[in-house]
Amino acid sequence: MATTPTPLEVRNIKKRFGDTEVLKGLSLEAHKGDVITLIGASGSGKSTFLRCMNLLEQPDEGELIVHGDPIRFKQTRQGREPADKKQVVAMRAKLSMVFQSFNLWAHMTLLENIIEAPVHVLGQSKKEATEHAYALLERVGLTARAKAHPAQMSGGQQQRGAIARALAMDPDVMLFDEPTSALDPELVGDVLKVMRDLAKEGRTMIVVTHEMNFARDVSSQVIYLQEGLIEESGTPAEVLDNPRSPRLKQFLTPNH
Amino acid sequence: MFDLSTWYHELLDDNAIFTPATMAHYWEGLVTTTQLVFLSLVVGLVLAVPLAILRSSKRKWISLPIYAYTYVFRGTPLLIQLYIIYYGVVFFDGIQESFLWPVFRDAFYPALIAFTLNTAAYTTEIFRGAIKATAKGEIEAARAYGMSESLMMRRIVIPSAFRRALPAYGNEVIFMLHASAIASVVTLMDLTGAARYVYSRFYTPFEPFLFVALIYLCLTFAILFFFRFLEKRLLAHLSSPSL
Repeated sequence: MATTPTPLEVRNIKKRFGDTEVLKGLSLEAHKGDVITLIGASGSGKSTFLRCMNLLEQPDEGELIVHGDPIRFKQTRQGREPADKKQVVAMRAKLSMVFQSFNLWAHMTLLENIIEAPVHVLGQSKKEATEHAYALLERVGLTARAKAHPAQMSGGQQQRGAIARALAMDPDVMLFDEPTSALDPELVGDVLKVMRDLAKEGRTMIVVTHEMNFARDVSSQVIYLQEGLIEESGTPAEVLDNPRSPRLKQFLTPNH
Repeated sequence: MFDLSTWYHELLDDNAIFTPATMAHYWEGLVTTTQLVFLSLVVGLVLAVPLAILRSSKRKWISLPIYAYTYVFRGTPLLIQLYIIYYGVVFFDGIQESFLWPVFRDAFYPALIAFTLNTAAYTTEIFRGAIKATAKGEIEAARAYGMSESLMMRRIVIPSAFRRALPAYGNEVIFMLHASAIASVVTLMDLTGAARYVYSRFYTPFEPFLFVALIYLCLTFAILFFFRFLEKRLLAHLSSPSL
């Protein structure tokens, strides 16, 4: 079997905000086709961990290896920083992120949002990017909204649009930061359906979520974080159905 | 029956104030005001864009000098700035022999310089506020999608900040139009200058000043209309849901 480098590997990530250590040495490996869900109570560090993966937060310690290529860091007076900005830009272009609050660019139409990074970061032609964008819009059921501005769309539409924007990068790994947490309950289903389809077609995904049914159905690995440490990790059957740690048991009990 | 043309002729035959000669003065004043305001706004805008970007810099040694400039020009009366530039330049040694003298001897250029520096200071702060108000999430998205800082500035921050700044900038344009009335105190024959001239000739305050007030109103209306049109086109994305 040919060994292709792992799309994303993080080792021993540590991060502190002031005196509080929020991540106390976290590691994971995302192989091609993996769907890894990060669960845990708020404040457990799961979003911060995800944001360290594309360096929206700078980890104080730890390694980030994208396709076998370790990100180089340097020490400055302000703390640790990436040594090579170009390397970070190239890395981010391979990992695309979907945010809790969508974060579509408000002054652009949905279509412009989707083609923005492919044209200006990846250097695709506008025509090529637009064709791809329309195909993606059809996938997420938003063809009719291509010319709408984000403010004119519902939350569910914005999030599906944001997923289309992420897909337009043809990413190796997709990072989802609580993608359904800001949505009205009746809109969650549409977004989860799109994500289930992505999982089914073999996209590599790392998802921070509170949706336990989604985690159970699509994950190849579930990681339970507790106070900045991995408390339990394994298949959904192991972690969600046979939790060993009392804290995870309590977390999984409805209305705890 | 009331004859409109007779009434009209009687009115104009007795009229010594609205004559072709005074009309020529008003026209000249309108041209001067328009040139002065338009040129200072255009140059001020061109200066303000890079200044606002530098003013937003996290590096103090870049942002502080620009803050000092905007603070001084916003913190002192425009009339004083005009006096300093108009009366003050003569005292620079050798300026009367230099190539700059023809420029500074005419009141138009000192006024243009004062107005430009003043509006550039205000516009810089308007844009800086708009840049600072860029949604944090949109900046994060730009970073997460692999944009460099300069690309993000060019594609995300500046275009969205300009749109946000539009209503405040429209006010600045109207403010400049009205502030330009003080150009008449340094002998410039702008609209107000023309009205003052007609007033001093005929000693009739109401006709000339009300007449130019009307012209200022019309100009203001045109500016308002223009900005409303721009806002409708460029701020569509901020309008409420139209599902």
